[in-house]
Amino acid sequence: MKQIIAIIRDERVEETKTALEKTGVPGITFLYVTGRGRQKGTANAHELGEVLNRNFRMQLTSAETAHGPAESGKEISAGSLLPEKKSESGFLPKRMLVIIAHDAEVESIVQAIVNVNQTGRYGDGRIFICPMITAIRVRTGERGDKAIS
Amino acid sequence: MKMIWAVIRPECAQRVITALDGVGIGGMTRLHVTGHGRGMGITLGSVHYTEIPKEMLMIVVPDNYVAKAVTIIRAEAKTGAKNTHKEGTTGDGKIFITYVEDSFAIRTAGKAGMKLKE
Repeated sequence: MKQIIAIIRDERVEETKTALEKTGVPGITFLYVTGRGRQKGTANAHELGEVLNRNFRMQLTSAETAHGPAESGKEISAGSLLPEKKSESGFLPKRMLVIIAHDAEVESIVQAIVNVNQTGRYGDGRIFICPMITAIRVRTGERGDKAIS
Repeated sequence: MKMIWAVIRPECAQRVITALDGVGIGGMTRLHVTGHGRGMGITLGSVHYTEIPKEMLMIVVPDNYVAKAVTIIRAEAKTGAKNTHKEGTTGDGKIFITYVEDSFAIRTAGKAGMKLKE
């Protein structure tokens, strides 16, 4: 039994969910987290344009409205929206997925997550595989592999 | 490779992060959590609180960085007068360390017909 911890982009959650359903994953826990990698969240801000998370996109929309439709074509650099995040040491909103799976399923789950989430840009996220000793189903008290199948 | 889960006071989080940065531990994930320890929460006046806000840091590091990371987290997250018998107070937090068998960077995993892991 393995614990798969994946940290992915906020906006890919729905697609990831759909993809994982197809692999027959028994259950997923989603957490709202903030995080950063070695780039410290901001180094590649100019590249983030199309992959900005929901919060930034909302700010982007309101900024566009303020400038009026005539100027909405003007490029608003993602970097200009980031300073307030910088104060938080570059932590960007991400989503954490926690999946407990049978050993044999790990490879296909990892592959599914990578397929959906890979954009090739910094900030695509990480997947960690950790050993899990046992699981207990609260409803029935089943233990081990039975609890997650 | 090890995964470090540190539950610390929210007001200490920034100090810990800056200090970890200083030794080259740049990547981490931050969670807002609530909880209590053996102290079973705190009582303020007539109200008893069991869900105390904490900050949880999840850091994955190579084995040889673990001791360094733990030392830094302990040094920065500890409250109370330094170098006295009062050093550290209840509620400063806990550090948990678990194994990581495998890790993938989604950006580069399985690129160009390579195996999932480079």
